Amino acid sequence: MNKLALLTLCILWVGLIAYAVLGGADFGAGIWDLFAVGGRRREQRNLINQAIGPVWEANHVWLIFLIVGLFTAFPSAFAMLSIALFVPLTIVLIGIVLRGAAFIFRTYELDASSHTAEIWSRIFSTTSLITPFFLGASAAAVASGQLVVMHGTMTANLGSAWLSPFAITIGLMAVALCATLAAIYLTEEASRSGEPELARIYHIRALIAGAITAILGALGLAQSPFAAPQLWQGMFARALPVVIVTMLIGLATAVLLYRRRYGLARAAIILETAFLLGSWGLSQYPYIIPPHVTIANSANDPAVIIALLIAIGIGMVLLLPALYYLFSIFKLSVPAPGRAAEDQGQMH
Amino acid sequence: MAHLLAARSQMGTSLAFHIIFSALGVGLPLLLCISEGLALKYKDPNWMLLTRRWAKAAAILFAIGAVSGTILSFELGLLWPTYIKFAGAVVGLPFALEGFAFFLEAIFLGLYLYGWDRLSPRAHWLCSFPLWISGLASAWFIVSVNAWMNTPAGFIVKNGKLMGIDPIQAMLNPATPYQTLHMMLACYVATGFGVAAVYAFSMLRGKRSAYHWKALRLALAVGAIAIPLQIISGDANARFLAAAQPYKLAAMEGVFHTESGAPLSIGGLPDEQSGTVRGAIEIPNGLSILAKGDPHATIKGLDAYPRNDWPILGATHLSFDGMVACGLFALLIGILFWLFSWLKKRAWQEKRWMLLGVLLAGPLSFVAIELGWMVTEFGRQPWVIVGYLRTADAVTTAPGLDISFALFTLVYILLSFALIRLLLRLARSPFPPIKLPWSATPYHYQAETEAGRVGI
Repeated sequence: MNKLALLTLCILWVGLIAYAVLGGADFGAGIWDLFAVGGRRREQRNLINQAIGPVWEANHVWLIFLIVGLFTAFPSAFAMLSIALFVPLTIVLIGIVLRGAAFIFRTYELDASSHTAEIWSRIFSTTSLITPFFLGASAAAVASGQLVVMHGTMTANLGSAWLSPFAITIGLMAVALCATLAAIYLTEEASRSGEPELARIYHIRALIAGAITAILGALGLAQSPFAAPQLWQGMFARALPVVIVTMLIGLATAVLLYRRRYGLARAAIILETAFLLGSWGLSQYPYIIPPHVTIANSANDPAVIIALLIAIGIGMVLLLPALYYLFSIFKLSVPAPGRAAEDQGQMH
Repeated sequence: MAHLLAARSQMGTSLAFHIIFSALGVGLPLLLCISEGLALKYKDPNWMLLTRRWAKAAAILFAIGAVSGTILSFELGLLWPTYIKFAGAVVGLPFALEGFAFFLEAIFLGLYLYGWDRLSPRAHWLCSFPLWISGLASAWFIVSVNAWMNTPAGFIVKNGKLMGIDPIQAMLNPATPYQTLHMMLACYVATGFGVAAVYAFSMLRGKRSAYHWKALRLALAVGAIAIPLQIISGDANARFLAAAQPYKLAAMEGVFHTESGAPLSIGGLPDEQSGTVRGAIEIPNGLSILAKGDPHATIKGLDAYPRNDWPILGATHLSFDGMVACGLFALLIGILFWLFSWLKKRAWQEKRWMLLGVLLAGPLSFVAIELGWMVTEFGRQPWVIVGYLRTADAVTTAPGLDISFALFTLVYILLSFALIRLLLRLARSPFPPIKLPWSATPYHYQAETEAGRVGI
């Protein structure tokens, strides 16, 4: 029984990684929109629109997948998280709704240089910065083991857990990671669509954002022994090799990027994010919310877990080919059925 | 109590906002599929132009639908943690399946909206099929959860613990077939009449080209096929309620006392003190006939239930009557329009009063959706899961709900204004030249003359 719950949690963790590398990059693109300054501002924004336009809604659905999967498989843990993280998650929600709406409003604003379009652009980029910060801070609050206190009634945490120095560090790191992901994708996208000048801009930004992510990561790690003791112990017990590999992939990403191997750098940063989140998961095992809520004591009835796993299986059979098709049409240079004969990378 | 009220208000506002976009999210893809299919089949630039125009509006509407839907999935936990602990355990499955349907919709939406030049015309058109199919599937799954809240099934509670959960039985609870069908049809009614209203407005302002005429006819075809089915489905719902949730039917119809040969009360305000519906028009034996098909059938009244289990009477009754009135009006408009078509009275179809009727039926169809949803929600109170969990016991302990409610309300107001402004500007903007798959030269729209008109 616990094995099935663990399997479900692993699948959800893969969903989390997918959200981070896809949805995270969309946040990152929004962050770079804030820095779209100078003479080539228009081109930068067009590149961002072109990059996230076809995929952002699909990327965003990974979050829904996570939420729904969590409350189906671990309903009591989800209920506790909802109460404890009421404030940061409310901010995240407002961020998500304003961000999505602002992006679509500015895309369809008839006059791209109008005042209104500019306001929507600002809202889009600001919320793209705020949302991953609070998502990261919430994750840190969970990992810290200080979120859920087991005596008395469950109540909302008013900042002691999600605005601690540790949580702020991880929140900022999440922002920097999103920016790094996006910058690398944008570099690749720009160089693929024959915009060497834009590729150069994002190449530099990717290196800077990557360095900031690494520094913040080190800062977070340094705080772990006292800010997230259980995580720290768990890391030494189970996750040390993975953490070391994470650091090595990080270095490899920097090298690939520096040597302008954009396609490989893109693969490396995806792997880096997966290992980073994987090492968090391994360190935290078997807790969903340390130090009390475990996989075993919050898992749903086995009948539901099995039904959910079957549903995920069937769903993925439909979803993964569709997703692959979407990305092969817009992001990958691979043969795909139904591709227009005259498609030469021109966007509508 | 203010705490609970704030939570309910925020949830209500969120749903009232989202339901409009979800209805369009189900309905518009079908219109896109048909119009693009017609464009390709008949090599007709007007149909292609309509498809492109609708796709643009759909891009904006679907994005708002996606983000407002995300709000709801979070709010289930943020506002009602006790509810989601219970519901997640039992009906998490349809939620998850809805997630997958939504995922497919988002993927094919990306392909559809950005794939005009990237996909072959045929592949592009084929992408509209998963779009409307997954839209329908989403509606079915999510409404099955609402149905479960009305007629909970698939679990037992022993010593305060959930046992023997059967997620399939929960999803296929008794109310599911009735509620899901009613909502799916409602999406087509509202989208059909809603889109028709836009073109009726254009035609009233003198824009009577083949382009407008085609749009009006297609939208009214979808709406007019759906509305009679919807009335039949509504009747089936009422009969189901008479058997499964008599207190809800009693609240909808303002029946205080169990009686045989119950009258149908139209309008009026239910008065708990006197146990009557004040100011209502009464049709003798009407309710017994409608709900049970027998003028002397006994209808269970609210007096069969403890007072603190009564739904919210005034709101349920008035919402119900309002919904029925809106639905019947749409039915009348649909019948008249196609009757004139059948009689070959094109001029009557284009009469000012006919177009005004269509213009009115559009917004009223959306009002019907809102009211219908209120009927089912107010009529379920004071329960969130009937017989198991009261709404008051489901609310979060987190503080500051009034601030959160105010914030979200502000966001919704802002989005509504921005959206309406943008859609109006889009509607007024001139048509950009479009590429037609069957022609080498781009097509520039010019309002055709009277002679150029053709039917579907």
